[in-house]
Amino acid sequence: MGVNLEAASEAGRRNGAVKSNEESFEALFAAEYARVAGIANRVLADPQEAEDVAQEVFIDFNRLHSATAPYAAAWLYRAAAHKALNRIRGRRRRERREFAQAIDEGARTMDPQHVHEASEDRRQVRQALARLAPKPATVLVLRASGLSYAEVAQSLGVGVGQIGTLLRRAEAALRKEVTRGSSF
Amino acid sequence: MAHLSEGTLRRKFDDEDALTDSDGRHYSACADCQARYAAFADDAQAVAGVLAVPDLKVDVASAFSRVFSAPAAQPRFGIRLPIVRPASRPIMGALAAAAVIVALVVTGVAQSALTFFEPKTLQPVPVSVADLQSLSGLSAYGTFAWTKEPTPQIVTSAAEVSGLDVPVVRTLPVGVSTTVTYAAMQQAVGVFTFDAAKAAAAAAQAGKPLPKMPRGMDGSTLTVTVGPAVIEIFGNLNKGAASDPTQLSLPQLIVGKSTAPVVTSSQVTTQELENYLLSQPGVSPKLAAAIRAIKDPSTTLPIPIPIEFATTTDVKVQGVKGVALGDNTGLGAAVIWIKSGVVYGVAGTLKQDAILDIANHLT
Repeated sequence: MGVNLEAASEAGRRNGAVKSNEESFEALFAAEYARVAGIANRVLADPQEAEDVAQEVFIDFNRLHSATAPYAAAWLYRAAAHKALNRIRGRRRRERREFAQAIDEGARTMDPQHVHEASEDRRQVRQALARLAPKPATVLVLRASGLSYAEVAQSLGVGVGQIGTLLRRAEAALRKEVTRGSSF
Repeated sequence: MAHLSEGTLRRKFDDEDALTDSDGRHYSACADCQARYAAFADDAQAVAGVLAVPDLKVDVASAFSRVFSAPAAQPRFGIRLPIVRPASRPIMGALAAAAVIVALVVTGVAQSALTFFEPKTLQPVPVSVADLQSLSGLSAYGTFAWTKEPTPQIVTSAAEVSGLDVPVVRTLPVGVSTTVTYAAMQQAVGVFTFDAAKAAAAAAQAGKPLPKMPRGMDGSTLTVTVGPAVIEIFGNLNKGAASDPTQLSLPQLIVGKSTAPVVTSSQVTTQELENYLLSQPGVSPKLAAAIRAIKDPSTTLPIPIPIEFATTTDVKVQGVKGVALGDNTGLGAAVIWIKSGVVYGVAGTLKQDAILDIANHLT
């Protein structure tokens, strides 16, 4: 029986390409996962949920984009911020868990009243953050997560010269949102 | 010299050397800018404080294994039509035919969400597979939930399940099996609720600005009612496995009938809805233009025709306008029409003349 060399060669090329894509994705994951999870955690203040968000973000990315895309990191950062902000907007369950967790963690070092106040402050801040428009909320989260002005600009698709102004206005907006509470 | 901008002053907070020489000289001499800087710095410090979280420790390797083993995402819209095995090579040729009925039961749901209508006639809209996939992205702009789940099933008497009279084929072409399998689906109702926050996030994620949302769009609902529907499948299906929808082989003829889908909405008008959804980043300009070309979106059902597989022609069926499809491979044909609020489709691995003849004599 003859061998279809052309088909075999095509199959080989495909296998090679698949392997290469997998390797690229793994490299991207290794390089960016901690930072992406960190961004989500900045919003959620919940490590476990932050990792859930980060993993969803990578799954979405892998489904839609090539790991070698030049915008990969910027896309991941922005998606992590948005997805985490959406989670806050959409549910109340986490608040209860966070409060219980804070009491548990803080019981060793803080009196219960203090723990309650800290948790309530954190909740108010996160709710206020989620009430901001997506762009200012994302600017705050990405910058607070340690991204440079250039990285924040790339993630938002704006010029780096705009970041100072966006940041300033976002900070003023957040502070205004939470003024009613006890966070400031 | 004008005062320093708020952006410049904010940047100075993060980088002491950010000011140019001239800006630095102005700042040193300007009490107003110094006071503004102090206020900005106070805000920046306060925000940094409240957003502070403990360092996150992650296990990258185990996280990667979880992500890599995650199942592929399924489209959120639509249901699967239990007709053929996905891997069947001949199905590519017959897809154009099957697409007619699939369009009614599956894509029609998503397509319905694009327009506000109770269709009286139909219009083929050439789309690519990518366009169809992009429709599932509508879920990024809100939440879609079935209040009555579509439950297509293989049955012995379709009328009992759907409540519709089963269409009768008067004359079967030579060679078509007289063995009939019925599929039926009761009426299904889905509700799509717009969510401004989701839409904004989705647009931003696509790297594109969110079109301005009409007043009342946020939280408005679209209620999509599809079916009931009946489908007759003529052909010797695989080895008595008719109860397992995934094990059926390619049918020779499919006749379908479904109450036309109806969409009702709250808070938004037809025009607002159409304009807004069509301007979303996920809808290709080509698809948007094709749908806009339909003269009366409130009464016309757009039938998505995958351009990779089929061409369409207008035909007259049972006295009304219909759309005929012939696939590019010559392996099959289909015709679809709407009469008295009911959508009909006939499709099969037959010549178009034969399909039209069956359609015209359907009772």
